[in-house]
Amino acid sequence: MIAILAVGAVTLGAIGLGTFGVRLARTTSDVFVASRAITPWWNAAAISGEYLSAASFLGIAGLQMKLGAGALWLPVGFTAGYLALLLFVAAPMRRFGAYTIPDFAEARLEAPWLRRVAAAVVLVIGGFYLVPQLKGAGLTLGVVTGAPYWVGVVGVGAIVALVVALGGMRGITYVQAYQYWVKTFAILVPACVLLLHLGGLPERAALFGQELPRAPAAGLVVALEEPTRVEFPRDAAYAVDGVAARAEGGDVRTLPAGELRLPAGTTVPVAEGTDARVGADWSRPVTDAGNASPVFVYSLLLATVLGTMGLPHILVRFYTNPDGPAARRTTVRVLGLLGLFYLFPVVYGLLGRALTPELYVTGRTDEVVLRLPEAAWPGLGGELLAALTAAGAFAAFMSTASGLLVSLAGTVSYDLWDRRGAEAQPSVRTRRFRAATPFAMVVPAVFALVARDLDISLLVGWAFALAASTFCPLFLLGIWWRGLTARGAAWGMAAGACVASGGIALTLARDTTATTVGDALLAQPAAVSVPVAFLVMVGVSRLDRARRPRQVEAHMRALHAPEGLGLVPPR
Amino acid sequence: MSSPRDELAEGSEVGKVYLRRLVRAQLLLSLTALLAFGGLVGSLPLALYVLPGLHRAEVLGVPLPLVLLGPPIFVLLITIGWVYQRRADALDASFRELLHDP
Repeated sequence: MIAILAVGAVTLGAIGLGTFGVRLARTTSDVFVASRAITPWWNAAAISGEYLSAASFLGIAGLQMKLGAGALWLPVGFTAGYLALLLFVAAPMRRFGAYTIPDFAEARLEAPWLRRVAAAVVLVIGGFYLVPQLKGAGLTLGVVTGAPYWVGVVGVGAIVALVVALGGMRGITYVQAYQYWVKTFAILVPACVLLLHLGGLPERAALFGQELPRAPAAGLVVALEEPTRVEFPRDAAYAVDGVAARAEGGDVRTLPAGELRLPAGTTVPVAEGTDARVGADWSRPVTDAGNASPVFVYSLLLATVLGTMGLPHILVRFYTNPDGPAARRTTVRVLGLLGLFYLFPVVYGLLGRALTPELYVTGRTDEVVLRLPEAAWPGLGGELLAALTAAGAFAAFMSTASGLLVSLAGTVSYDLWDRRGAEAQPSVRTRRFRAATPFAMVVPAVFALVARDLDISLLVGWAFALAASTFCPLFLLGIWWRGLTARGAAWGMAAGACVASGGIALTLARDTTATTVGDALLAQPAAVSVPVAFLVMVGVSRLDRARRPRQVEAHMRALHAPEGLGLVPPR
Repeated sequence: MSSPRDELAEGSEVGKVYLRRLVRAQLLLSLTALLAFGGLVGSLPLALYVLPGLHRAEVLGVPLPLVLLGPPIFVLLITIGWVYQRRADALDASFRELLHDP
């Protein structure tokens, strides 16, 4: 009940800020980039608020609980992505003054057809990233209220579409900044309060020692909603709905739906696909094989560090900086704000292993942030903290989903819609943006309803690998190399996208966990697909030398010449 | 005789040289910062892999590798970013000065 109130309050606050922004959203420039007159701190909070998604708020802790400390490379990569953005993209991109990624592609390489190629890639990456947000919303609402899955998907989808269509981005900037602080507060306060309440980390042997998670002193009762395939790491006695049974270590069994009871001290069985590892291995960030092998870790870091700059909803926000130096200052602040947030998911992963071992049985470790407070502190205290994390999770879906929707609707209404008549009339563009918003939401929402069983982290990983293998080379070469041509860019993006998607699709089809180096590279293909994309872009551009953009010097000047020289009118 | 600023604005050969120098200096600065980051953070997975003994060291009861993935990395990222931002702004400023007084 308290949780529903908290979720409602946060959502109403966002809608209120969004509609308050409507009065300020007058011209097209306002709607698209909020007039570029927002201070670095506001901008940084808005960027961070938009960036911290379901994958960050729920996914990192869940993945850490499931796979071990290897999951902690994710926040490192997610944050370091902004360092790469700062070093190579932020200031030049802002100076160039294009509204969107397709704008940049067309203007820098002087090829109108490239705009459509880039727009198509934006839709794919944005769509892949929007689906898991909606999926997370459906799951979270289910945990908090018991509502069916579709209620969360449809509800959050509708609210976000409304806020975006009414407020444009001026509204969204304030909404996003507000959401950042909601999320940080919602992950920081429960983590600190629970650590104080428990007096430190419990069950140290299961966390860092030689033990597997066990049922607590009062025994463990797990409600299995559906038949579940589990592996018993050790001999165990158990009962489902009162029917007693024994399992030997290594047994894989399908437990029927019902109430599973494990006596005190029993090593808990783990859902198929989860490694049962003793604490010493579980808390090691790099291991010999699997999802924490060195090759996998490096490929993951590459995908997240380089993928961040290619996420369509992130880049567009840099245009709300007044100039290049402001874009740099904003990005440094983003590093600080993200670093603050990412200190805390690890607390939930650690406490979850000790206090909510039932999530290993059901395989739903993604719920650990939502379930932990009440497990660690039964009573009103835990209930209040659980309400806080639920509200934070909702802020996470809402903010990332609205940022993505702005990009998707902008791309549909501006890049793909027939341009005749729209250039001269800002009101036409604004109307089209508002008309495109519901459509841009409907397709991912339908996909989220159908693809309920697809893993959240898989879709997010796919989006990052795609962005790193397409837009990252386009930006780095487009900004720093005079030799890039439109055809080189298009072939490079196509090659990168094919290799990245092929690897992940093959992993899905084979349905195995990564054990060898080859498996790791298929599951996390960035280490291969990014170099391929770069090589193809450079190679084709060299063969295509005759078609270099004619105005390349003017473009380089627009990208790199400092402000205050009166060279180019600010765009 | 035209000023360096006009040379740049007109895109003359001299102007191109000015711009190339700026772009090269900025790129060199960015690559240096990337190298600092890559050297320190990039070597961490390998170090943790080659030296599993690091796991036995503890900070406040938490194994060292877990602690390393927290505050130290983020502080390092912010520091590199902050130093880079100041240097990059300074490069821009000196370019502006170069162009304003011939």
